[in-house]
Amino acid sequence: MPAGVGRRAFLKAAGALGLLALVPRRRLEALVASAPGPGQDGRFLTAHELDTLRAVTARFVPGAPDDPDPGALEAGVAEAIDLLLAAFTFEPPLIHAGGPFSDRAGATHDDFADFVPLDAHAELGWRIRIEGSLGMPQREFAGPVTGLQEIYRSGLAHLDERSQQAFGVDFKDAPGPAQDLLLSDQTDGDLQTFVGAALANTLEAMYGPPEYGANRDLVGWGYSRWPGDLQPRGSTDAEVSTPGPDTGSITGALLDDLQRFLPALGGRRASRTQFWLGRSGIPRS
Amino acid sequence: MGRSAIIVGSGAGGSVAAWALATAGYRVLILEKGRNLLPGLGTTGPIGSLFGNDEVKAGRFFENQDIVLEPRTARSQSEAEQGVARSFVGDVNTLPTVVGGGTVHWDAKTPRFWRQDFKGLSLYGPVPDANVADWPLTYDELAPFYDEVEQRLGVQGDVAQMPAATLAQAPRSQPFPMPPNPPMYGGTLLAEGARRLGFTAYPFPMAVNSTAYDGRPRCNSCGFCSGYGCPINARGGAAVSFLHHALLAGARLEPRAFVYRVNASRSRVTGVSFIDESGRQRRVDADVVILGASAIETARLLLLSGLGNGSGQLGRNLMFHFFTIAGGVFNEDVHSWRGPSTTFTIDDFVGPVQGAAAAAAGLPYLKGGICEVGGTLLLLGEAQTFAAIPNSWGKQHKDLMRSGLIRRHVAGLSMVGEDMPQLANRVDLDPDVRDVYGFPVPRITHSAHRFEIAASTYFGPQLAAVCQAAPGALAAFVLPVATLTEATGPGGPFAGIASTAHIMGTARMGDDPDTSVVDAFGRAHELDNLYVADGSVFVSSGGFNPTLTIMALSLRMARHLTGA
Repeated sequence: MPAGVGRRAFLKAAGALGLLALVPRRRLEALVASAPGPGQDGRFLTAHELDTLRAVTARFVPGAPDDPDPGALEAGVAEAIDLLLAAFTFEPPLIHAGGPFSDRAGATHDDFADFVPLDAHAELGWRIRIEGSLGMPQREFAGPVTGLQEIYRSGLAHLDERSQQAFGVDFKDAPGPAQDLLLSDQTDGDLQTFVGAALANTLEAMYGPPEYGANRDLVGWGYSRWPGDLQPRGSTDAEVSTPGPDTGSITGALLDDLQRFLPALGGRRASRTQFWLGRSGIPRS
Repeated sequence: MGRSAIIVGSGAGGSVAAWALATAGYRVLILEKGRNLLPGLGTTGPIGSLFGNDEVKAGRFFENQDIVLEPRTARSQSEAEQGVARSFVGDVNTLPTVVGGGTVHWDAKTPRFWRQDFKGLSLYGPVPDANVADWPLTYDELAPFYDEVEQRLGVQGDVAQMPAATLAQAPRSQPFPMPPNPPMYGGTLLAEGARRLGFTAYPFPMAVNSTAYDGRPRCNSCGFCSGYGCPINARGGAAVSFLHHALLAGARLEPRAFVYRVNASRSRVTGVSFIDESGRQRRVDADVVILGASAIETARLLLLSGLGNGSGQLGRNLMFHFFTIAGGVFNEDVHSWRGPSTTFTIDDFVGPVQGAAAAAAGLPYLKGGICEVGGTLLLLGEAQTFAAIPNSWGKQHKDLMRSGLIRRHVAGLSMVGEDMPQLANRVDLDPDVRDVYGFPVPRITHSAHRFEIAASTYFGPQLAAVCQAAPGALAAFVLPVATLTEATGPGGPFAGIASTAHIMGTARMGDDPDTSVVDAFGRAHELDNLYVADGSVFVSSGGFNPTLTIMALSLRMARHLTGA
């Protein structure tokens, strides 16, 4: 909003329009503070499922001892995914963080924490995406849809099954390299359906705004040296027009990496069978 | 009582028409399928924004059409010939479904089309296997409307830095309302690379406030620009620049109104039928109906209504644009995300180029397009890119995120390649797949013409050369994304049809009712009071971002209606 327009005026304008009601509530801190610890039930996932998901996300974005910087465990990624799966147990549902500003770049109130209510149309889409069509005719106008909840529930169970077969222990108790071996099995289509969803959600949680429940202490923006959301402060003209502080050491190996990933720069789009995806980034395998 | 108009869609075309008609005394009703995410729009209070610097939300169908509820389907021309009904269901060329349409999150680049774009057939002749035609109007007829739209939208630019060739092709009678934004650093390096090769990079005209304008603040270069709603409304667009003022002038807006039929009686339309926010079917009548739902949805609506297709051209000649990407890699932190996506453009690849390369492809000429200079990805986009190869997660992924290789060390170029119109590239109604409202979804049949692939092959190395010539460039690459998409098909690893967000051509304008759908003012040949105000009417796609031209055409149509 324009400088000088206070939140009060903004909310008044929102109310006058009568189309969207913001519910100004600081509840993300409370949610994160009360997030389940190891061995505790999540809001959707069981304690065992949540522990298994923690192990999965820790392979995707490792922390100590495999990596010097904090990873998915420290960021609270599994807990945030559990919140997404349980999005509809909150009002408004935890789908779209609010706007326009967080309180990280000069604003006094964290609007991001005031999630935007879904209207009936948007709610139907997200219920189908998260809960699945569940045989309801009003959700199956274009055929049945398996929801994220089921993809996670069956995917996590499948991981344990594979781990028991291969190593005789549950996935979460297998050594890291063994876990990697399972997660990278491209011959197991069911498993890769789960991996696709879990990796996409892990990256969102790790590198997205902390209001979605992860990126705790902004660890995902630390080692990546990312300033995060910049409004309302923005950038100075000098920041825009002169080189930044992070001169790199671009090696031949990095350039080789770039070459490998270049084709993905064109962007990928979500399909009906990968409806959890946003606009780009994750391959169909 | 004045005359009444129903406008379907509140994007670039619809909102401009709404403003021009409402301020001329029309009773205007705008029916928009999406929500309003700009609280305060159309009130005397400030215009707010529910958008933020939030990559997660941008990927969660906040303002885009939710593909679970309203998928689109796709297939290639050869699949269509083999009788394949579809090979892809999902997101085809993102359709923003929100009050303000695509301009809510557009890149806001506002080049004008060139004189030659309106007269392709008479200037350069036919292209084999393409449906090339002249527009039924000239640049000079459109120029006053370009002027007026630029003023209301709030466009920045610098005429003094524009190439003579550009000004000869798109002459200007007035300066830009605002000077350029601060130049983005990575862009300045590529601009110097261009200069060293004899090309000209100049400040990209764009609807971004470099000074406070129309009650909206100056852009502060937060970096979340193209693809993101503006948190401070520093970017002009259909909603804030036109619809807002239309509503203040008395126009009415009904969000979440899905129009499923245009009603007609003989040679006149009487109004539309729609499903409102509460799910009720309603009918509303008006003297004039204007469609501005996008080249995909407008064609679909007319097909659903069984109207306007006496020529057999409705839904055909669908054009997207054929992007070719290049980039330079720098050791310096060139932070090409920090700013309004890009701040420079190069016009040297627009063409036409006649000669050996064209002849080798069996073509009379090649054309590329305007070139967006100096952009890159934000953090989550980079993370997703580094995860795009199977099993590329783990420590190697984290190492790449630490390096910021794409975010901080790549400055990219993106050429908006011109598409040839083809009869076989079309929108029709999918025979099986239905949307949440119970109606057939739009099916897109699309394959590139060899014109686009040859042009990308020809200009791509020049783009890479610009990057390589930039001061401090360690390496350069060219990435013919559209060619890769084409090679792998709608269901291939490049998922879907090129996602360019530029959609044109399904209800082309022309003087001859046998070969076109609407006339030079956007009026349907067969229906006296039905008008089309979006990219559907384009006869050619030009090598330019299309929105300013959509707006200028809509304004010209509206002024024709009001007699002003």
